[in-house]
Amino acid sequence: MRLSSILFALGVLLLFFPILIVVPMSFSADRFLGFPPRSWGLTWYRAYFGDPVWMAATFRSLRIALFASLIATIAGTLGIVGLGRIGPRWRAGLTGLFIAPAIVPNVIIALGVFILALSFGATDSIVTLTFAHAALALPFVVMIVGAAYRQVDSNLERAARVCGAGPVRAFLTATLPPILPAVVAAAIFAFFISFDELVVALFLMGGAETLPVRIWNDLRFEINPTIAAISTFFVFVTTAAMALAELLRMRTIRKLRDI
Amino acid sequence: MSPGQKWTVLPALALALVMFAVPVALIFREALFDPAFTLTHFERFFGRPVFQSVFRNTLMVATIVATACLLIGYPMALFIVTRPPRWRPLLLFLVLVPLWMSILVRTYAWMVVLGREGMLNHALLTLGLIETPLQMLYTSGAVYVAMVQILLPIMVITCYSAMTEIDMGLVRAARVMGAGPVRAFRHVFLPLSLEGALTGWAVIFILSLGFFIVPALVGGRRDALIGNMIVNQVAQTNWGFAAAMAIVLLAATIILLALLRLLASKFLHSPRQEST
Repeated sequence: MRLSSILFALGVLLLFFPILIVVPMSFSADRFLGFPPRSWGLTWYRAYFGDPVWMAATFRSLRIALFASLIATIAGTLGIVGLGRIGPRWRAGLTGLFIAPAIVPNVIIALGVFILALSFGATDSIVTLTFAHAALALPFVVMIVGAAYRQVDSNLERAARVCGAGPVRAFLTATLPPILPAVVAAAIFAFFISFDELVVALFLMGGAETLPVRIWNDLRFEINPTIAAISTFFVFVTTAAMALAELLRMRTIRKLRDI
Repeated sequence: MSPGQKWTVLPALALALVMFAVPVALIFREALFDPAFTLTHFERFFGRPVFQSVFRNTLMVATIVATACLLIGYPMALFIVTRPPRWRPLLLFLVLVPLWMSILVRTYAWMVVLGREGMLNHALLTLGLIETPLQMLYTSGAVYVAMVQILLPIMVITCYSAMTEIDMGLVRAARVMGAGPVRAFRHVFLPLSLEGALTGWAVIFILSLGFFIVPALVGGRRDALIGNMIVNQVAQTNWGFAAAMAIVLLAATIILLALLRLLASKFLHSPRQEST
């Protein structure tokens, strides 16, 4: 029992290793990368927040992620409702299609979207990239919202309809409220799928870099400590948001199971 | 339920068609027609030793990474599942947090640690264990370590969710009947958890096949995977050849999924149904 605890702790240590390195490094005031840092400061945070190129890339990524998440969440949630209304054969086929982008390697989807965009002259377009990211996030929305939706008693919506609510009103007042936390969780997941995505952006965006593309281009030439500051900043943002998403997701599932 | 609400699948359908199905179809057209039907891209891929070795290397890296993740991840999942229920969410959370970190960031951390003037070399030099810095960055070893670290949480979670489905009463029954803990594990728990472990292995294998960030940043020249080749060919505007390689990658993914299904239905389902 003792030994297994130690081994498990070693495994967790391996998983946390990057965070344990990057976070202290980001607060270093040394001119060169060394560990542990000899002097401390916010030099690299200033370098990040003070650099218009990094900031432009960050805001570009935030904007794309926001819209991609909105599109994926709305399309995915409506899709789940629709899937419940169609025959089992179609349902299985369509579910497979919606989930497939999570299984097929991103490099392949990126290349395909790039070829498609080329033939319409739609490369270098934030709109194309946003929709491509939405398609990559769709499987996660379908899985998260779908799991919650299956737990909802469909009699609730039927009752609302019988009582005179139109289909939209029945959905908004009877079906949506119990699955809303799962929808929010799905939106958060979708946001970070887009925010982290590198390869589609790399193929599609020639001039305008997203944050991952900016980091990628930077890392290929030098190990820049600014990236430690950016990483630390977003590790905290991501962890807080994802922890919230996970909490919401698990709470919905548990609550719906109890009903 | 009103049949009128079927239309709500349309936005998702449009998104998946335009941004997934059509692009994948276009890859086939790009690889096979130039403008007449041709297999030259595939002949080039399988005819040149360079590309063959990249293909072999991709399969080898995926196999080693998936196996290493299984060997580390299965015991970790087992550890979590055998803790008291109130501890489990916290332990699972510890495994999940690193998963939310961007792959770029995690790769960057390995660059910092393994570099010539990196942390590990610095520590080893200070301790007097080595005289000159070791070459650790830009090696195959660096690729393996970083990929295992990045993919391990997925293995733990897949194994864990399979293990929570297991009826622990069966293990207790084996113990009551006189089996020792090792024997009860080997003959009851292990077979029941095998499907989850195999699924985890296949998921990691498939994800590894598509990797390109890690080998590009911490690997050497010979550590390129098929994903790197695709990215390089796109940069050189050889779209037809890149598309052919994408199809090879897709085929490898699909073949593995089919094999897994076959294996699972042949060896795993039937004994499980007999035992329950």
